[in-house]
Amino acid sequence: MNAYAKYFVKKLFWYLVTLVIAVSLNFFLPRMIEGNPVAMIVSQMTKGMTDSDTIKRVYETFIQEFGVDKPLWQQFLIYVQNLFTGNLGTSFGLYPKKVTDILASAVPWTIGLQLPAILVGWILGNVLGAVAAYKKGVFDKVIFPVALFVNSIPFFTLAIIMLYVFALTLGWFPLSGGYDFQMIPQLSFEFIGSVIRHHTLPFLSIVLVTIGGQAIGMREMSIYELNADYVLYSKLLGIRDSRISRYVFRNAMLPQITGLALSIGTMVGGSLICEIVFSYPGIGTWLFTAIRQLDYPLISGCTLLIALSVLLANFTIDIIYGFIDPRIKASQMEDQ
Amino acid sequence: MTTNILEVSGLKTYYKTRLKEKVFAVDGVDFVLEEGKTLGIAGESGCGKSTLALSLMGFYFPPLHYGSGSIQIHGRDIMKLSKEQLRTQISGREIAYIPQAAMNALNPTLRIIRFIEDIMKEHRPELTKKQVWDMAVERFETLNLSPKVLRSYPNELSGGMKQRTVIAISTILNPKVLIADEPTSALDVTSQKAVIKLMKDLLDKQFIRSLVFITHELPLLYHVTDDIMVMYAGEIVERGTAEQMIFDPLHPYTKKLMGSIIVPEEGMKGHKLAAIPGTPPNLKHVPAGCRFAERCSYAQDQCRENNVAVKEVDGRQYRCHFDTGTLKEWYANEQS
Amino acid sequence: MKNSFNILIKSPKFMLGAGIFIVMLALVLIFPMINRKDPLEMIALAFQPPSSQLWLGSDNFGRDLFLELMYGIQTSIRVGLIAGVFATAIGLIIGLASGYIGGIVDNLLTSITNIFIVIPSFIILILISVSINSRSSLVTAIIIGITSWPWTARAVRAQTSSLRNRDHVHIAKISGHSTPRIIVFEILPYIASYVVMAFVLQTASGILSEASISMLGLGPYNTISLGIIMNWALVFEAPVAGAWWAFIPAALSIALITFSLYMMNTGMDEIFNPKIRS
Repeated sequence: MNAYAKYFVKKLFWYLVTLVIAVSLNFFLPRMIEGNPVAMIVSQMTKGMTDSDTIKRVYETFIQEFGVDKPLWQQFLIYVQNLFTGNLGTSFGLYPKKVTDILASAVPWTIGLQLPAILVGWILGNVLGAVAAYKKGVFDKVIFPVALFVNSIPFFTLAIIMLYVFALTLGWFPLSGGYDFQMIPQLSFEFIGSVIRHHTLPFLSIVLVTIGGQAIGMREMSIYELNADYVLYSKLLGIRDSRISRYVFRNAMLPQITGLALSIGTMVGGSLICEIVFSYPGIGTWLFTAIRQLDYPLISGCTLLIALSVLLANFTIDIIYGFIDPRIKASQMEDQ
Repeated sequence: MTTNILEVSGLKTYYKTRLKEKVFAVDGVDFVLEEGKTLGIAGESGCGKSTLALSLMGFYFPPLHYGSGSIQIHGRDIMKLSKEQLRTQISGREIAYIPQAAMNALNPTLRIIRFIEDIMKEHRPELTKKQVWDMAVERFETLNLSPKVLRSYPNELSGGMKQRTVIAISTILNPKVLIADEPTSALDVTSQKAVIKLMKDLLDKQFIRSLVFITHELPLLYHVTDDIMVMYAGEIVERGTAEQMIFDPLHPYTKKLMGSIIVPEEGMKGHKLAAIPGTPPNLKHVPAGCRFAERCSYAQDQCRENNVAVKEVDGRQYRCHFDTGTLKEWYANEQS
Repeated sequence: MKNSFNILIKSPKFMLGAGIFIVMLALVLIFPMINRKDPLEMIALAFQPPSSQLWLGSDNFGRDLFLELMYGIQTSIRVGLIAGVFATAIGLIIGLASGYIGGIVDNLLTSITNIFIVIPSFIILILISVSINSRSSLVTAIIIGITSWPWTARAVRAQTSSLRNRDHVHIAKISGHSTPRIIVFEILPYIASYVVMAFVLQTASGILSEASISMLGLGPYNTISLGIIMNWALVFEAPVAGAWWAFIPAALSIALITFSLYMMNTGMDEIFNPKIRS
């Protein structure tokens, strides 16, 4: 088995372990409180309902789907079995809608918002950070404090401020939602235009905050690399500065990829709250609604989905990284 | 007739501290290296020998700055050249450098051959990739290095292999002078021997014409270089042939450096610097008079007051107030 | 230690951060002593704009937002600090154990740390918060603390395992000193600056985490925090009502506190970590 295959198998194994733990946490944590927690949640949510028939139906569906009357380990098995069949239960708040259906309608919005925003923010942030490290002087003195300040603004704070300034005061962009209410989703220019206009502000607020954090990290990495011995050695062999900066950029950039993997959880979390601010029809907004309605199956479905996507994103990045950074390959060889 | 390949006069270079003080690590160095000769530079750490090595390259990177003096290669003062001229005409072509930490001198994400290609792009742009490859293979084979190395990443090589690769890369353009800063100090004995053999090969095959070999292990130089220079506190304190320096040192510092070695061949092996009481002076506040006076067991009042000029006796130079007769008498008394 | 402190004072970044932080802290601690009113008392109409009476207007319940902000900042900083203490302590213990003991213990603890770095901590935070019925600000702070230790653990482990092979540690071992003694006298002093920096960062991220889960409506009960103020503003649609004073001051306060903490951290980093000194 070559070094990379070994690396791949090792990573795969650890991500599977992590997956099992994530799923177990998702199941056990809410069930670990005293008494019969799930029944308590059910009773809590039913407090708000007056129609006793509905209460009963919601409760019975839940008991049946999750086997709440059975021992905990059996419940877990049922839960896992349901997972494999793609069944996450029935929503309390939107009874009798299936949680899976709700999530399926939300996922495209969340991915459409977060994936491009995080990637764009990551790329721009790295370029800015490298430039700040390389040019030093005034450029660095301006970029660095600004990036530091932007980085300390929570995602949602920037989102709220942008919402107020650009949507409310200036009226340049719509206030909330993923598209105009009166429109029917279709492939028309008008509809796509509406989607883009609704997309802009949440997109920008995620991009801006991401730029801040990435620029700081990249600046630090680049300064570190610029002081590396190979820079001096290459210069003394007559290699031109532009080529050396390429070495430095590449070497500083590669660890930033792992940086992206590790911070993606935080980013996704922040972006979810951005969605809430703009009432964007993604997972974040559903989570917000679910928490307010104590829609337990939907909350659980959201958290599971988020955890799984973050794991998947991490795994993908790790695999790509191992492929492109020879330093990883070498360290794997040494392990053999 | 011999020609001077390297001629250094009045060279002063300094470090600028964070408090903007100037610390002269090379403080008025003069020496001449004839074509075909090898020169060793020895001294304790902190005496300025590594700084001298770097300074000879003509490139200065903060915090190191050029003060004054000239460095002539074949009569051409490289300090009078522009940075661009220096980079395209001198660095790597006329004078090459092997850094102290050769372990980290290679860009970890570049295969060796790609790095060699990059060097060739600067100095021999007319060569095709194929020609560069053939040339590199031929050179590596001549030097008993496996051409497989060329396709490797630096981290896939062992420490000793990396060091030899760096030497092969540094000399690939057949520079006239090679400056090696502690090329053996981080290696085990076997690798040290291989590196020394490689240096000798380079000289025998005339890939390089002259060598400046810097080390803190004075005895090692006996096997490698024709002449030895001893540095102390930024100055050259003595220069002579290897034979003279090791068996018949004049300056008390050289004498101390050699400790009490009497039987050279057996006794010298693995013998490192004998510890000398005290430490080299802080170069921020250089003492008046002889810089070694503070630690010298023969020091008298005049040593601490008057600056010392270099004396020249029988083709060797030393920097001490006392004449050779007095010194030899003292040393002889001490022996008995 | 005294020496490091003297250098710190010379760092403009650290002093700026510390200055902002101390001024804010002093303001929110002293103001409620002067204005002893209950921040939850409804004293005006909903969403009144700022005036000489109500410096930052009123919220949807007609409460004095400036007073709420003072209490909110107080709660947020307190939650952040408690979370920081818990996260740093857990991270320190796990990191020290992992780095110093090595072997199987190290493998096990490192694996656990890596697993919890990958599982987003705010998911665990949501899951626990949803399940706990009566959340005080202390409970929230502790939950945040026990979900955000992995970063500190990883950093401490790396430091410790490199220190473990240093001469002074070997000497202490040969001299027969006990493990706790070696850890306290031979290891801790060398990682102290990292631990302080980690604590500052954990505090900042604790404040952000509290704000995030409070925004989701899972914040502490019976108290006011910056996240809760913003949650109210969002739930009662303050932006649509044009009541910027209901959320912008709170939002900026969070940014300012975290900025001051990051500044302190950067200042310390430049001093204690010579590699990135430019």
